[in-house]
Amino acid sequence: MDIARFLPLLLLLVSLAQAQSTAGRSDAVAKTVVGPANADLADGAAALRAGDVEEGVRLTERGLSRAADRRERVAGYSNLCAGLAMLERLAEALQACNHALQLDDRHWRSYSNRALVYLKQERYPEAERDIASVEALSPNAHTLGKLRAMYRDAVDPMTPSVIIDDRREAAADETSR
Amino acid sequence: MRRAARYCPYALWLLAAGAATGDDGVTQFDNDGHERIPLNTVAPAYPEVARRDRIEGDVQVCFNVDREGRPYRIAVRNSTNRVFEKPAIRAIRASRYQPVPKDREVPAIKTCRTFRFRLESAAAD
Repeated sequence: MDIARFLPLLLLLVSLAQAQSTAGRSDAVAKTVVGPANADLADGAAALRAGDVEEGVRLTERGLSRAADRRERVAGYSNLCAGLAMLERLAEALQACNHALQLDDRHWRSYSNRALVYLKQERYPEAERDIASVEALSPNAHTLGKLRAMYRDAVDPMTPSVIIDDRREAAADETSR
Repeated sequence: MRRAARYCPYALWLLAAGAATGDDGVTQFDNDGHERIPLNTVAPAYPEVARRDRIEGDVQVCFNVDREGRPYRIAVRNSTNRVFEKPAIRAIRASRYQPVPKDREVPAIKTCRTFRFRLESAAAD
């Protein structure tokens, strides 16, 4: 399981978690906020999206230390989980995902990130459970198909083959060149 | 093109063998009666989305072959899933048949080829 296969999915999850985090702030406090509420979390997510994973993790950790509410912490830990998974720091990634899910056990993106971590760790029953949680919480999650495919590829890999059959009768047609 | 190059020697070997299955997951059944003899049979790439979603299917593509052995007027005649059509057409376009000598007439007949896209359990053996 190399990182290249997981990277797009993780980046997507990072961007969505961040968007949810900044959107959630607007209804929490009735004041005008210009730009993201937690700049470090936003910059961290942007760095992760841009592929600068180490910087993304650093900024996310800094953002988490200044997180104003539970919603920000959930998004931050979820992003941290994704970033650490990209760095193959799987034990720490798992801790971050678990932390996010302790704060919000209905955060499907954290389940999704944790499922990826479990897949990387070849812990397939746990991955299957988390994929089921994603499906239950967000049946239309765009990451679901990819997660299921990764899981299937891991537990029941298939080899594609092509049979070329020239035995069919040729059809009469107009004059060839 | 890399795939084409990969299958070229294999396809030539198939011509000699008639029909066989190879390590690359390509099986070819030859038609003894057809008038144009395949020279370079290119196998289509299995679409990643189909592989991912575990989709199998068949595509029958019919086409003419010019004097030099190049397929033209390539069209899908039957298809069980559209996801396989483009790879099948590309494979036909990249394939070649033996040229017809100058002193012989080019057969006025359409050639058809069926691609059967299949998935096999890797854990079968």
